[in-house]
Amino acid sequence: MSPFYFILNNFSLVLEYAMNHISLVLTVLVLSLSFWIFTGLIISRYDRLASAVISFSNILFCIPSISLFGLFMTMPGFGLGRKTAVVVLVLYAMMPLVRSVYLGVKSVDASVVDAGRGMGMTTSQILLKIRIPMAWPMIFAGIRVSVVLITGIATMATFIGEKNLGRLIHQGITRGNADMIIAGAIIVSLMALLLDYIMGRIQKKIVSPGLRFQPGD
Amino acid sequence: MIELENITKKFPGADSFSVDRISFRVNEGNICVFLGPSGCGKTTILRMINRLEEPSSGNIFVNGKNVLEVDPSGLRQSMGYVIQQIGLLPHRTIEQNVGLVPELLGWEADKTRKRVRELLEVMGLKPDEVVRKYPHQLSGGQMQRVGVARAMAADPPIMLMDEPFGAVDPIVRIRLQDEFLSLQQKFQKTICFVTHDINEAIKMGDYLIILNQGRLIQMGSPIDVLTSPADEFVLSLIGEDRGVKILDLTRCETLMEPMRETPDDLMGSGCFVQSIQPVKLALEVMMKKDSDHVAVCREEKVIGLLSWKNIKKHINRVSGEDE
Ligand SMILES: Nc1ncnc2c1ncn2[C@@H]1O[C@H](COP(=O)(O)OP(=O)(O)OP(=O)(O)O)[C@@H](O)[C@H]1O
Ligand SMILES: [Mg+2]
Repeated sequence: MSPFYFILNNFSLVLEYAMNHISLVLTVLVLSLSFWIFTGLIISRYDRLASAVISFSNILFCIPSISLFGLFMTMPGFGLGRKTAVVVLVLYAMMPLVRSVYLGVKSVDASVVDAGRGMGMTTSQILLKIRIPMAWPMIFAGIRVSVVLITGIATMATFIGEKNLGRLIHQGITRGNADMIIAGAIIVSLMALLLDYIMGRIQKKIVSPGLRFQPGD
Repeated sequence: MIELENITKKFPGADSFSVDRISFRVNEGNICVFLGPSGCGKTTILRMINRLEEPSSGNIFVNGKNVLEVDPSGLRQSMGYVIQQIGLLPHRTIEQNVGLVPELLGWEADKTRKRVRELLEVMGLKPDEVVRKYPHQLSGGQMQRVGVARAMAADPPIMLMDEPFGAVDPIVRIRLQDEFLSLQQKFQKTICFVTHDINEAIKMGDYLIILNQGRLIQMGSPIDVLTSPADEFVLSLIGEDRGVKILDLTRCETLMEPMRETPDDLMGSGCFVQSIQPVKLALEVMMKKDSDHVAVCREEKVIGLLSWKNIKKHINRVSGEDE
C-alpha cells in the first residue's frame, strides 16, 4: 500500500499533476475529434487524397513519441510547453481517428446506400442520414483507442515541460522510488479507464440499437 | 408514362451489352411486368429509369421529359423504388424506414405517422408490433414488405418494383398480390414490375416484356404471350402448362354457347359459374360435379352453357395443336 501513502502524503502535488494531465488530455481530445473526424469525412469523398492522408498518419504514428516531442520542441515557434505537447498528441491521435472514420463511412453496406439514392437522397443526405449513423460503432472504436492512447503518451510530455503524471513516473525512475512510479502509473491507468468508460456511455447514447445487436453478435 | 427509346447499356469493363437496343412504353395506369432469366437486364432497366444508372445510348422519357434533364433526387422521390436487395436502413426503426421519403419531402410528423401505419397494414404487418422494431428484428419476408411500404409511402405516381414479393411465402404472396391489384384498381399507378414467377407475371401484368441476354424477345398482353409465344425461349419460360394458364385468364363467357334455357338439373345440383369467372374454375366445378357441362350465369340469370368439348377445342386451338 505504499504507493497509496505516497499519494496521501503528497496529495496537493499529485492533484496538481493529475489536473494538468487531464486538462491536456481533454484539450487534445476536443481538438483531435474536431480535426480528424472532419478530415476522415473529407477524404471519404476523395479517394486519391485518402490514401495519401492515411499513409501520412501511419508514418506519424510510427515515430517514437519521445523523438516527436523533441523534434517539435526544437522547431521555431514551438519550444517547451503546452502548445508543443498539444500539437504532438493531436498528431498521434490522427491515425486511429482518421482511419476509423474513413473506414466506417466507406464500409457501409452498398445496398443500403443504394436504397438511399433510390429514395432520392442527395449525397450529403446520404452522408448525414446513412453513412455517419452507420459508421458510429467503428468511429467510437477509434475514439476509444485514441483516448487511451493520448492519456498514456501524455506522460511523455513531461520531458518538454508539462507538469503532469509523467513527472511522477520520470522522477520515480531517476530517484529509484518505486512507490512514486507505481502511483503515477496507477493514476494514469485509472484516468484512461474512466475516460474510456465515459466514452462507452456516450457511445450507447449515440449508436442506434438497430446497429448494436447485429445478427451474429 | 415511361418511354424507352433504343436503350443500350454496357457497364465499364463488361464485354457484352447488359441491355441491348430496347424500346418500349408503359402507359399511365398500367402494370408492365419484366420477365426473364437471371442476368437478362431487368434490374438494369429499372435503374436506368430512375437514373441510378445512365444508359450508354438511347433516351428515356418520363411523362414526356428526358430523365437526363431533370434533377435526379426529385425524379427518384417521384418514383417509388422497391430494390431487389431490400436495403432497409439498419439504424432506423421500421417507422422511420417507411417514413423516409415523406421525411425528405418535409411532411408533417403526424401525417407521416398515419400514412406509415396505413401502409404497414396494407402489407399485412401489424403496425403496433413493428413500428418500433429495427430491421434485423424482422424476418426476410417481413423486411421485404416494409421495403414495399417504404416505396409507396409518399404515394408516388410511378413505381419501380424489383421482385417485390420474392421473399414472402406463397400464401402471403397471393394475398399481397390481390391487395396490390385492388389498390391499383383505385389508384391507377404506372408500374414497372420485375418477377421470376410466370404466374405472378400473368396475374399482375397488363402487359409483359420478356427479356433474354439484354434483348427484348416479346412484348404483349399475358394472353397474347401465352397464345402465341414468339419462340422456343418464351415457350420454355411460360412452361408446358400454358393451356391451363390460358384457362385461368379466359372468362367463361368467351367460350360458352349462349342460351337462355339450360337443363334444370345443372342449376339444381350447383353446377354453374359466373360469366366473368375464369374457365379454370368451370373445369373445377365440372370435375367436382362429374359433369360435362356447366351453366354460365350473369348474376342470377342463366346466359349460356359451357361444355368440356368447347374448352378442349379452345386449348388445342391456342396451343396450336391439332384436334
Ligand atoms: N454495376 C455493374 N457492373 C457491371 N456489370 C453489371 C452491373 N450491374 C449489372 N451488371 C451485369 O449486367 C447484366 C444484367 O444485370 P441485371 O442486374 O440487370 O440482371 P437481372 O435481370 O436483374 O438479374 P436477376 O434476375 O438475377 O436480378 C448481368 O450480366 C450483370 O452481370
Ligand atoms: Mg435483378
